[in-house]
Amino acid sequence: MAAVIAGCATLGSTGQGDVDLPSSGVGPFRKLATLETKDVAPFVFHDNVRRYRQPSAVAEDDDPNSARVVLFAVATEVTTLGGPARDFIVRTRADDGRSFFATAADLSLHAQHAPTVVLVPDAPWEGDRLASPDAMRVGGEWWLYYAGAGGIGLARSKDGVTFRKEVAPLLALDASASDPWETSAPSAPSVARYPDGRWRMLYAAGGQIGEASSDDGVAWTRVDADPTTPAMDPVLGVAANVADASLAPGEKPPFDTGEVGDPCLLLRVTASGRLHVRVLYTGWDGPRGAPDRTSAIGFAARYGDSGRLVRNAAPVYSVAQHEAAPSLFTWDGGALLYVEQLMPASGSGAGASPAYPGIAAAFAPPAQTLAPAGDFPDTN
Amino acid sequence: MSARALGALALSVALTSALDAHANPLDTFGFGSRGTALGGATSADVKDFSANYYNPAGLSRARGVELSLGYFRVEHALAINGKDNHVDPVKGLVGGLVVPGKLLGIPFAFGLALHLPDDRISRVRALRQEQPRWELYDNRNQRLYLATNVSVSPFEWLQVGGGLSFMSSTQGRLDISGSADVTQPEHSQLRHEVDANLTAIRYPQAGIRVALGPRVALAAVYRGEFKLKLDLKARLHGDIQGLTTALYDLETHSVNAFLPQQLVFGGSWRVTDDLRVNFDATWINWSAYVAPVAKLDVSLDIPPPQGGWPASITPPTTPAPQHIVPIVMHDRVVPHVGVEWRAIARPTWEAFTRAGYEYAKSPIAAQTGVTNYVDRDRHSVSFGVGARLVSPLRELPGDVRFDAHAQYSALRLATTAKADPSDFVGDYTADGHIWNVGISATVGF
Repeated sequence: MAAVIAGCATLGSTGQGDVDLPSSGVGPFRKLATLETKDVAPFVFHDNVRRYRQPSAVAEDDDPNSARVVLFAVATEVTTLGGPARDFIVRTRADDGRSFFATAADLSLHAQHAPTVVLVPDAPWEGDRLASPDAMRVGGEWWLYYAGAGGIGLARSKDGVTFRKEVAPLLALDASASDPWETSAPSAPSVARYPDGRWRMLYAAGGQIGEASSDDGVAWTRVDADPTTPAMDPVLGVAANVADASLAPGEKPPFDTGEVGDPCLLLRVTASGRLHVRVLYTGWDGPRGAPDRTSAIGFAARYGDSGRLVRNAAPVYSVAQHEAAPSLFTWDGGALLYVEQLMPASGSGAGASPAYPGIAAAFAPPAQTLAPAGDFPDTN
Repeated sequence: MSARALGALALSVALTSALDAHANPLDTFGFGSRGTALGGATSADVKDFSANYYNPAGLSRARGVELSLGYFRVEHALAINGKDNHVDPVKGLVGGLVVPGKLLGIPFAFGLALHLPDDRISRVRALRQEQPRWELYDNRNQRLYLATNVSVSPFEWLQVGGGLSFMSSTQGRLDISGSADVTQPEHSQLRHEVDANLTAIRYPQAGIRVALGPRVALAAVYRGEFKLKLDLKARLHGDIQGLTTALYDLETHSVNAFLPQQLVFGGSWRVTDDLRVNFDATWINWSAYVAPVAKLDVSLDIPPPQGGWPASITPPTTPAPQHIVPIVMHDRVVPHVGVEWRAIARPTWEAFTRAGYEYAKSPIAAQTGVTNYVDRDRHSVSFGVGARLVSPLRELPGDVRFDAHAQYSALRLATTAKADPSDFVGDYTADGHIWNVGISATVGF
């Protein structure tokens, strides 16, 4: 009998011990694999004409087991008269967080599908391009923050489709302020509500990231990240350059020495009861306009409701495809990171398709595999 | 040869044969049902097969040849942030042999002990230092244990013993070469070679027992340090579709399991003919611990093809070297207390009940940095019963004993708070419970 029992030693199962490990919930992420999206992996929402980018993902309902996602994104207007193309904001959705209505693979099956246009630039302060949607559900309403040429605006909706805009920008370039770092109009808003009901917004300006606070989500006041200095300070600036000579073999320099932007503000209370302000952002290694600069998605955070953010030196997502504008969706199955990134050029000659931006997805925890992507929704 | 010389010889053999050794589940969960039921407090009160682990000196107190066999199973319910991490159970056969006799007129005994896991003989895992893991329960207890010892009793009041435990270290090499077709992988032609060695390593243990009278005995035990090394090399080289060549060299070195050296001081007091109280204190040199984190040396060389890389291809680059943060652990003294009561005493059989307690304060420093070696203070209470049949059959002139144990361990809830808010793991709470049950039977000849 002992020999029989001992023989069971050859029937051992795969070891475990690494199930449900703790995480800050912000990666690192791995790009979706081939079977995890119905489109060209890792893309989940792209079209070479409308050039979807700058995603903002919102859970469609309150079910923590559900991966139903509503995605807002910037699209370029299809012009037939040769005039300047406007950028507007569209809405799509997916039942599994990955198979989005009206993405290129869906259009190959259902040519009549088209995402719903929810916002177009029609106010003087907006210019002709809307950008950086940041959607959230507030009570029974959908609130959609966005950027125009003159600052940050807000539109609200009962159904998530028909939005009503605030007339003026909520946050605009303040020429009278002593903010030496804020050299451009605020853009790329990301808004969250603290547990005590207060509102906080992170925004990009002058290649850095600033913070503003509000009691109602409409009237905003800038927040100084470091009150010990006389000037207003951003919560996250660019990383300091590191001389190549001081790098170890194989060590890479910081990825965000040129510009930081596209904040994605995420709040949680940690297991120790601390307020944990987490921010995903885009970091570039060169200044805006530099032809060969590269980007990656980074993570910075702080404990408590004020102060500068501390960056993690390692990016959470880096594929050298001009990835930018992170947005996070979490459910009980994991976390999906949506980013804008470049769909590489393909083909040659007359059939060549130049590179264009689309929305790709990445997943965490990276060792876990998602079930194959589901069907595209029938409606938006 | 004098009794003193024989004892010295046994000790010297044990101590000089090896300086390196390994982690085993016996340190954590005990060995044999009687020892576990007594909370591991048996260094001065052991003479069966479990003496191979608790105190080899006790072997020479055996009255006849004994063969023991048992089984135990440990179930973990260890959770981080309230979610069970599914740490593997530890289970398998335990057994051993005690063969006493006389050498040059001196009582002498040889012992052999074995724990044979029934899931896997050994488990090798080298994780990133950032990955949370139950350091003392996750991987290091998934081991086979094999030990041999000798013991002499030059005087009725003195026993001395020692021996060796055995394990194997792993060295391996993987070599892949050939040509790869990235567009039609089925057309790739690759050759591979695997060369792996499991090399035997040993670690010593030794013990002494001194009887101060018919009712009191003291003991001291030493268990050696052990490092189970894992060295792997991988080389990938060849041609990629005629465009370029690729070379990828990887070397990883780690200590996959580490058993710190230990010193045990114990005593046993037979309060009455039916009641015995034992106490052990185990000093564990945890500060010498080496964490099982792999040190990687990676070299990658893929020269660009003529005309450079296509825009759609981003060649991989050599991964950045990782700075390994040494684990900080503190030496600990673990107290063990055990009580055994002979509840029934008949001429042909006896019955025992046992209870024990031990407290293992976590040796791992607060994990406020990038590492996540999770552990918590552990309180263990144990209970057991036993029966001894005196010469039940003509063919079995010795005793036949049956023992069973149940041990419950509670790991206290505590919070780990990270200093760096941008840590990818963040704050967490951890706690858990461990159940350990088992039986063993001994037949004396």
